[in-house]
Amino acid sequence: MALSRDVPPQVVIPTFVDGRELAVWRSQSGRIAAWDDRCPHRGMRLSHGFVRGESLSCIYHGWSYNEAGLCQRIPAHPDLVPPEAIRVPTVAAVESDGIIWVASEPASQPPPTLTGLVALRSLTVEAPATAIATAAGMPIDQDGALRPDLAGIACVLLVQPIPGDRTVLHVLVASNASPAAQAAVSRALEDLRRRVESERLAA
Amino acid sequence: MTDTPMLNEWYPVGILTQLTKAGRDTLLMGEAINVACDSLGAPVVSAEDGRTLPVRARYGHVWTSLGSPTKELFDIPEADQPGRRLVDVGVVRVKCSPLRAVENFLDIAHFPFVHTDILGAEPHTEVQRYEVQIREEVDEVWATKVKFYQPQAAKSAAGGITTDYMYRVPAPTVSILYKTCPPRPGEWDVITLFVQPMAEDLCQVWPWMALFDDQTPMTDLIHFQQMIFLQDRSILENQLPRLLPLDPGMEIPTRADMTSVAYRRWLKRHGFTYGAQLVAA
Repeated sequence: MALSRDVPPQVVIPTFVDGRELAVWRSQSGRIAAWDDRCPHRGMRLSHGFVRGESLSCIYHGWSYNEAGLCQRIPAHPDLVPPEAIRVPTVAAVESDGIIWVASEPASQPPPTLTGLVALRSLTVEAPATAIATAAGMPIDQDGALRPDLAGIACVLLVQPIPGDRTVLHVLVASNASPAAQAAVSRALEDLRRRVESERLAA
Repeated sequence: MTDTPMLNEWYPVGILTQLTKAGRDTLLMGEAINVACDSLGAPVVSAEDGRTLPVRARYGHVWTSLGSPTKELFDIPEADQPGRRLVDVGVVRVKCSPLRAVENFLDIAHFPFVHTDILGAEPHTEVQRYEVQIREEVDEVWATKVKFYQPQAAKSAAGGITTDYMYRVPAPTVSILYKTCPPRPGEWDVITLFVQPMAEDLCQVWPWMALFDDQTPMTDLIHFQQMIFLQDRSILENQLPRLLPLDPGMEIPTRADMTSVAYRRWLKRHGFTYGAQLVAA
């Protein structure tokens, strides 16, 4: 759902997996976590919250949760030990090859290995994944990826559908691609996006 | 379907000093209305089907109702007290339930995090026990003996003080706050939140104030209150679900939320459910 480097320590971002709204955050020590994007206290989005040390806090009342999603502190009652019932539902989040992967259901297998590749960028396309696959002239494979050649370079486009018939593409290129080649791939991606979006507007 | 008990309540729909003969179109509980004034300047509110709605001109605002109000508009005695400055703050449209807007106004625990260094600041986050009651004789929710440390409680406050508060809910979308008045110990500043329900998940908020403050320019008073409310809006538009859950289970209150618990209970008891969610989703 994101490139590892786009979620540095002490940052929280909103995302979607299978239509479920999630807050993905990285602790000071580098641990990644993905939770329901909702504080159980008053329903505020946790993706608006803030990270301190190994905890994520809600921006509304500062309730803070540890890496397991358990409430650790309620600032309005500093002496209260929060009951264990106050917890944020979590989902599995792992990192490999510079990509953050999230599974809303318990995953039966680890994410695909992407050795020899380097994460280039993410971009959002105002079109469903099927339209992008059609434009790329290939089906989405069992890894949830498209593997086109862009600017003559082999690429992997990891496909993340998000609500509103939109799609986020997380793009990797061969790790030996030069900066100039990476820039060319980036431009080719923009061309692909414009093509898909204009076909959609025309239709 | 529009909620019947709430249909018979009074709602703010405009500022008295800003009325025009042509009027302004707006929404009240999903129904299109026009808010205008006649040749003498008296407010006139009409519905889309041509019927003329009841009006009251009070507290700087025009009040109307889509139904047949069984109660007169609530009283704010301080509005007529000599020496107070009456401030029409303006309007802020918020994509949230009108009931969530009121509940947020009743909450103090968020001050250090949402109104940081103004109405609250860490480490002064503790909410002391206070008293909440539904005053049966007037059928209002009241919270009293509320205390909170504030770095800049009001435009007229020079430094940090512990502020005393009282909260009052006289109608489902109205909250009145009484707070320590820095220049006039012994008196209370009055700050209200008048909420116009446009839809179950859309409202217009008309804050209004009756203050003892002869010093601060009117513009600064308005800017201060608008800044506070815009900070609140960033919360209100990001709460899930959009409607206020009245049944337990969806959200977890603590002791600091006693006012909100009483407010939700009072809403449910009266069937004031426009903008509410009754069954945990």
